[in-house]
Amino acid sequence: MIKVANLHYKYQSGLEVLHGLSFRIGKGEFVALIGQNGAGKTTLLKQFNALLKPTAGSVGIAGLDTAKSSTGELSRKVGFLFQNPDHQIFMPTVAKEIGFGPKNLHLSKGEIEARVAEAAQAVGLTRYLGHNPLLLSKGQRQRVAFASVLSMQPEILVLDEPTTGQDYQEGIEIMEMVKKLNEQGHTIVFVTHDMELVATYARRVIVLSRGRVLLDDSCRNVFYHPEILKQTNLFPPQIARLAQAFAGEGLFKRPLTVDEMYEEILALASRPEGAKNVCCS
Amino acid sequence: MHSAVISVENLSFTYPGASQKALDSLSFKIAEGEFVGVTGPTGAGKSSLILCLNGIIPHFQQGTFHGAVLINGCDTFHTSCAELARQVGSVFQDPEAQIVAPAVEEEIAFGLENLAIPPKEIDERIGEALEWIGIANLRHRSTTELSGGQKQRVAIAAAIALKPKILLLDEPTSELDPIGTMEVFEVLKMLNREHGLTIVVVEQKVNILVEYVSRLLIMKEGGGACDATPRQVIAQPALLTSVGLKPPPVGELAYRLKLKGLYPGELPLTVGDAYLGLAESLSIKGRA
Repeated sequence: MIKVANLHYKYQSGLEVLHGLSFRIGKGEFVALIGQNGAGKTTLLKQFNALLKPTAGSVGIAGLDTAKSSTGELSRKVGFLFQNPDHQIFMPTVAKEIGFGPKNLHLSKGEIEARVAEAAQAVGLTRYLGHNPLLLSKGQRQRVAFASVLSMQPEILVLDEPTTGQDYQEGIEIMEMVKKLNEQGHTIVFVTHDMELVATYARRVIVLSRGRVLLDDSCRNVFYHPEILKQTNLFPPQIARLAQAFAGEGLFKRPLTVDEMYEEILALASRPEGAKNVCCS
Repeated sequence: MHSAVISVENLSFTYPGASQKALDSLSFKIAEGEFVGVTGPTGAGKSSLILCLNGIIPHFQQGTFHGAVLINGCDTFHTSCAELARQVGSVFQDPEAQIVAPAVEEEIAFGLENLAIPPKEIDERIGEALEWIGIANLRHRSTTELSGGQKQRVAIAAAIALKPKILLLDEPTSELDPIGTMEVFEVLKMLNREHGLTIVVVEQKVNILVEYVSRLLIMKEGGGACDATPRQVIAQPALLTSVGLKPPPVGELAYRLKLKGLYPGELPLTVGDAYLGLAESLSIKGRA
């Protein structure tokens, strides 16, 4: 679905920020892209819809070579959701906002209406279709922006820091919608600094550092390499760090979430030889 | 208890045209030397509160203002922002948006020049501020080539150079990676402990707040939903979950284990605390 081969990118100033990246992302994957400030994450995302084009190497999106494709063509394949919904909202009603992309695809009126209805339903905004989006709450505006992306029915959804500026509850609501889309077969790539969010949602993690891929592995494998993460200003989620502190004892499998570690501790405590070991005050 | 350096008395504020109050009958006091974290869902009024503490509300932001904010006894309503700036330093979310000068040294000089401080003293204060923050090596660097964490520390140094008694920060780490976030909080801890600054920081990341602050103010719908120590908050996860915030994972784990009688002593604020508690619970000797 996404094929990045030996990708280099140099800004006009001559500063090269991507130094030969290669990876493939298959249909239906759920990938987090992480790395320190300035690692090149956003520069990489901008290659996916040809806002930036490779200086060397290539980026293929659903079979299209981005060097030879326009942002318009790619917008049917890749949907983008940014941090601030207000940067992508500009129409007078929610329905027009959601229908804006499909209208530009010159779809029939019936098809546009059907897509608007479906996208609004997916994000729970059906009863707000006639409202002015800018008068909705921030969480609702983020849903409007999300529905506008969905109405294009992109196979790939790219989210750049989707939860920054949102509180925890709003962040989870967005990620749950993304998860549902992934279950329906959409390919997801998201960028975040929130390692707890990565541990909860991503199945695969690509770690960038100074324009190179430092690690590309399952979420669990990545978070149990703290020494490598540190090179790019990251550390694993709290639970992984806690389990890691017991690495010498070989007590834990590799938990990432509170639920996983809680279950492991209960199991340890209920073992016959564990019972006498577990004390409590 | 030292005397209150910040006193918020029945404060309400409504933006022009808004149907709801951004701040609604909020009251609290902060004593000299406290390190207070302010958190809450979006729209709870956290940023509006910061703007009231540095006087931008009511001096530059219109709206309906009721109640009073006293900074070292001065009513902000009757004190200009320029006067308040000598007592209160502010650092905002996006370091890019507040850094104006091309070089670190000039960035820090900017506020001092505006206060008409003599050049020799400006030079000394720049050196001192950079020294305090631990970035003396960045003095002659270009501000454009710094990392996010470095830029935010430059912004803090620029605020500190004005020698405020109180430092206000509104989501200073929201754009930063995890280690950049920690760097900023380490600097705040040092300023608080070694230089006695009173610090009020708005932050969404509850994990890092409980590790560093001495007091947490949780806001909801313009009011104070909870005012407690980090340990009190960890011991009652509902204080966070009821306003849509997530308890830190190690705190939540220990809380659930304690309900089963599997976690000894006080609930942990950090991964290190949790390690010691669990090691005791699982009877692991040696490193604990």
